Amino acid sequence: MIEGLTGEVLAFIVFAGIALGAAVAVITMRNLVHGALMLVIHLLAVAGLYLTLESQFLAVVQVLVYAGAIVVLFLFVIMLLGVDRDDLLIMNDRRRVAGIVAAGLLVAGAMTAAFVGPYTSEASVCGSGVAAVGSQQPCIGLEAAKGPDDGAGVAFLGRRLFTRYTLVFELSAVLLTVATIGAVILARRRDLVAEDEDGDGDSGRDAGGDALAPVVAADAATDAATHADGEA
Amino acid sequence: MPIGAYLIVAAAVFSIGLVGVMLRRNLIVLFMSIELMLNAVNLTLVAGSRMWGDADGQVFTFFIIVVAAAEVVVGLAILVNLFFRRGTVDVDVPSLMRS
Repeated sequence: MIEGLTGEVLAFIVFAGIALGAAVAVITMRNLVHGALMLVIHLLAVAGLYLTLESQFLAVVQVLVYAGAIVVLFLFVIMLLGVDRDDLLIMNDRRRVAGIVAAGLLVAGAMTAAFVGPYTSEASVCGSGVAAVGSQQPCIGLEAAKGPDDGAGVAFLGRRLFTRYTLVFELSAVLLTVATIGAVILARRRDLVAEDEDGDGDSGRDAGGDALAPVVAADAATDAATHADGEA
Repeated sequence: MPIGAYLIVAAAVFSIGLVGVMLRRNLIVLFMSIELMLNAVNLTLVAGSRMWGDADGQVFTFFIIVVAAAEVVVGLAILVNLFFRRGTVDVDVPSLMRS
């Protein structure tokens, strides 16, 4: 199966090892900030795996969106709430841990058994001249399908994205807009609206905001100053 | 590399994420474990794209990244709200909806 230690094989082994180790670290780290940093390492290793799969554009998107935006959001929330310590209560119950880890191993084994069958030969990789598993005609491979002057495959992806999947693309735009608006509404401090200087009649919306009072009292001065700046 | 190697890595990462969801009680760690599982699925799709020399797998990965970003944004907003109301992000604390 593996003739020699070529560059591709070496890159795969390194990136896969880092990805697996960092994934284990994410779920076992006691400090949440360390966990989030391990998640960054995992995501970068997966981006490296995308590179070995000739998907350069997705590797860049992975670094930008996941490591650059999502993990920063995680770290921002962790540090905003000050919840970087976790007591790992379930992890102290050894029998439950053993059961859950066994269940996870079972899932991994089942998926591996389902995956491995026809996919382990060199012929499973397109571009080797023969038909890939489940494909009728011999395929030309990802690198050839991209075209000569499209190294990262941006045009290759864009052509498919804006022809066959235009509707899905538009729907994902709607989804992102709805998610942004929803996050703004959800994360708003509601009882600050009642203290609004111009009193534009929003006070009916702060039902249930009483639980926020102790937290908000400490920050009210700061937030009011910020708000005033925003209106100036 | 044979595609099977990538699929095995993806299966292992998915299972690690699943164990994390079941093992930990902190909502933030739960979200990070869900990210691990989504990433494993992405790796499978990209491996399939390489295997068949087709763009579909990469386009789907693109959409999964979009949906994951939206999910994290809304989930973390709910989490911040929950923390200000209850003072904890522990999922085993009795639910507000019960009363």
